[in-house]
Amino acid sequence: MNHRHLLPDEIDLLLDDEVGFGVQPLKAHLEECDDCRTRVEEARFVVDALEDAPHFAPSHKFAEKVLSQVPVFVPWHVTARDMALQWLPQSRPARIAVAALATSAASMMTLMILWIATQSSVIAVATGAAGDQVVRGLLYNAGHGVLATVFGDQVFGMIQQTGSLGIAAAMLGLVAAAGGSIAGLRALAAASSRRRV
Amino acid sequence: MPAPPALDLSNLPDADVVALAQKGRDTAFRELIRRYERPVFSLIYRMVRDRELAEDLAQDTFIKVLNHIDRYRPEFKLSSWLFKIANNVAIDHLRRRQLNTISMDGSPHAVTQDAIEATSFDVTVQQESALEEMESKELGGAIEKAIAHLRPEYRSCIMLRHVEGRSYEEIATTLDLPLGTVKTYIHRARHELRKELEHLRDE
Repeated sequence: MNHRHLLPDEIDLLLDDEVGFGVQPLKAHLEECDDCRTRVEEARFVVDALEDAPHFAPSHKFAEKVLSQVPVFVPWHVTARDMALQWLPQSRPARIAVAALATSAASMMTLMILWIATQSSVIAVATGAAGDQVVRGLLYNAGHGVLATVFGDQVFGMIQQTGSLGIAAAMLGLVAAAGGSIAGLRALAAASSRRRV
Repeated sequence: MPAPPALDLSNLPDADVVALAQKGRDTAFRELIRRYERPVFSLIYRMVRDRELAEDLAQDTFIKVLNHIDRYRPEFKLSSWLFKIANNVAIDHLRRRQLNTISMDGSPHAVTQDAIEATSFDVTVQQESALEEMESKELGGAIEKAIAHLRPEYRSCIMLRHVEGRSYEEIATTLDLPLGTVKTYIHRARHELRKELEHLRDE
């Protein structure tokens, strides 16, 4: 029989519920030694009291106080999505209806723009421009310069084959895309900001 | 038609919530605070034993972590990072206040009675309503007083071990201490607590 009492480190092993080959002899010793068993029970008493110690709660406004001092940067794509979601209806049928309406509206606007483009001569007369040929010439030269720069001469050649209608449509599309991009980026840049409550 | 429920983050692991916080999701920040406000506050409260002060220090802890959430690395536990900062802010405060739990009887440099009283540490701070409430229950109060009597280094180790259930290795990483030092601190803390609570054990 081993009459050596448990060392402090060995009591710690038992308190920490360690498992392994070295622990079994310690447990076996406890069954035979009242002194060591008492020491382990005293130590276990303390550990149990600690493990039963509760968590204290801070005030109910703790989270708000923290967040008021943490700048939350919302990326532009999250802002864009959240803004779109604000306007979108929640139900699937309603969303389908909105999508259909938006598509119809976009198509109508495109057709209107194309029709206006074909009426350049009417516009020229209505605005009192000196000769629609001059206006057409100006439009053509301006359009040629811009479209050739953006799309390249080869693509511009393909557009040119569609006539003035195609050139006008391409120009309007470029203007609309540029304007929409600028407006959208400005809106998102304003929305994507570091906010502090 | 009711609005769809907000994203439920409560079932996500910490790393996923942090990833959402890094993308700027306000709900992710709130979830992190919700998960750890009590453990962090409790650790600091038991260190400084002043509720209002503990709340300020706990806020500082979260502000530091959330302001640098982009630095979080998933291979480490978020809780360890939080506890490390919480422990550091508490220890820094205690050092500034020169509170020394060993010097219950005043500074060793104090020679007059007035100086001793000015530098002694009074465990029963008036603002601790929650601790006073605990102290009204005999064992709960005795353990809180006993914890307060420990050195700050022992206190943080023993609380992380038995109140927060951290392993020795985690505590060593969290507190930047050698593993052997952590085991020594915990051993000594248990020994001192056992002596403090001896009278309760005998009843």
